[in-house]
Amino acid sequence: MTAALRMSLLSIILVSVMVLSLQSGSVNLSLIDFWTGLSEQQSLVFWEIRMPRIVMAALVGAGLAVSGVALQALFRNPLAEPGLIGVSSGAALGAVMVIVLGGALWGEVLSWQMSLSAFALAAGVTLLIYLIATSKGHTDVALMLLAGVAINAVAGALTGLLISVSSDVQLRSVIFWMMGSLSGVSWDGIALLGSVTLLALAVLYRLRHPLNALLLGEQSCLHMGYAVQSLKWQVMTASAVLVGVSVALVGIIGFVGLMVPHMVRLWVGPDHRQLIPLSALGGALLLVSADWLARSVVQPAELPIGLLMALLGGPFFLLMLLKRREVGV
Amino acid sequence: MSSEMTPTQQTDNALVFEELHYRVEGATLLSEASGRFEAGRIHAILGQNGAGKSTLLRCLTKERPASSGRVVLAGHDLQSLSYRELALRRAVLPQNPSLVFAFQVEQLVGLGFDVQHWSSDSRAIAMQAILQACDLVHLAKRDYLSLSGGEQQRAHLARVLAQIWPKNPDTSQAFAGKWLFLDEWSDGLDLKHQVRLSALLRQWVKQGLSVVMILHDLNQIMQWADDCMMLKQGRVFTYGSVPEVMTPENIESVLGVSVRVLQSEDSVSTMIFPQLS
Repeated sequence: MTAALRMSLLSIILVSVMVLSLQSGSVNLSLIDFWTGLSEQQSLVFWEIRMPRIVMAALVGAGLAVSGVALQALFRNPLAEPGLIGVSSGAALGAVMVIVLGGALWGEVLSWQMSLSAFALAAGVTLLIYLIATSKGHTDVALMLLAGVAINAVAGALTGLLISVSSDVQLRSVIFWMMGSLSGVSWDGIALLGSVTLLALAVLYRLRHPLNALLLGEQSCLHMGYAVQSLKWQVMTASAVLVGVSVALVGIIGFVGLMVPHMVRLWVGPDHRQLIPLSALGGALLLVSADWLARSVVQPAELPIGLLMALLGGPFFLLMLLKRREVGV
Repeated sequence: MSSEMTPTQQTDNALVFEELHYRVEGATLLSEASGRFEAGRIHAILGQNGAGKSTLLRCLTKERPASSGRVVLAGHDLQSLSYRELALRRAVLPQNPSLVFAFQVEQLVGLGFDVQHWSSDSRAIAMQAILQACDLVHLAKRDYLSLSGGEQQRAHLARVLAQIWPKNPDTSQAFAGKWLFLDEWSDGLDLKHQVRLSALLRQWVKQGLSVVMILHDLNQIMQWADDCMMLKQGRVFTYGSVPEVMTPENIESVLGVSVRVLQSEDSVSTMIFPQLS
């Protein structure tokens, strides 16, 4: 199967699942209604609730999956994932800081302010983990994961501290959002995430050859003529932007960056020429499907998508660890 | 073995280094290292662990800038050459290359061609030639992680070759101007592949390739190299053609082991044995 065929295949599946998901929910909305004209209520549900939510799920999924690809190349290990190594909880701390402190200081908090703060902390955590776990171009995987545990703990505690001093109104929005939720998505948020996701994807796709070389180690990457330092900065920034903005908008959704790149690698191998675009599509497909599931299983209520992904991703991570023990890499 | 060259050709093609010092965290790993590696020859670097062999290789390949001193490759100061330009002139096989992602052997070798921006048409023939040279044809579609240590080493060697592989490898000076830096490349290779690959290296050297290799095995140096540089405690102990410098006295001073040299009856090959006393 050629690369173009694979991309078309995933795109077709993605669009089909999006269309199916659009029709599912407490208000009936079928393709036939769409053909014959939507009622006012249906139109409102379609344009203000379902459509933004599904588009957002696709964007967040694509962004998180590709941020996983980027971090895995940076750390040269398939277990590097924004949630596991603390980048997501750093971003969450940044966002909560703005909700609570910004709320007290200047009143209404805007999504770009949360995004900026989340991005800054995500970038800070990425750099910190990199400095801790990587020396002389080699990453100590155990150190990387353990440092992630420590940062998750500290960021979680600081977030908890901020929550304990927050007002009731802030508290509700914080908790709602910390579980990872796709409800209450706005078109403004989509425009923001859509533009940064496209930009970061373009930057990373342009770096596909040096990223392949980076898998061989910094030394070899340099010997193959690629500017390793600037490559690392670009990869860190791009992945922090993807994680920061998506966490600021929908909260922490874990394991997307672990599962999707892993499955795509099993399918096409680790070459970034295919890994980046296919992971973006695969991540979108995974989150759109998961969101559909989260809305369908306990109707009329819904599962927070972050919870659902943790339920799926946790066992997946364990399986990867076991597999890793078997082959010894 | 030494090939006669005019002085201008020497200045044009050689790898020259002058007064290289390398200090890191208070330790001096390399001091006053000077030398001249002529193009179109195989140069071995010998020394104890920690004698500065890998450090010298790093300075010569611009992986680490020396603290002071300069390196000139084919008339160009190394500092004035970009990594991109360097990558087209020389390839480097580090010691223990690591990779935990499951590239197919063919994909891994392809990363070398990517450096040269070769189109997929021009790749196919060169890919076959390199896979054949490294005896990887039957492993082309295999996942790198499923290979044995020696097979992985050959796959990396093939990737490194692809980085500097010439468009017309059959011409008499096809590899002129290309350099290969190998850090203990024969480790983990079985004898058959050592022999096969060293013979091919010799063939490419005749076509103009220049090779710098760190080796521990004295007999490999005797058989494969034209020149040998001996390092001792971060300094160049001696440098010259293999028959000149590979004497029991030099080897004992540099490695701290006394050795015996035996000529075969036809005096074609020489064997060096450590003397167990």
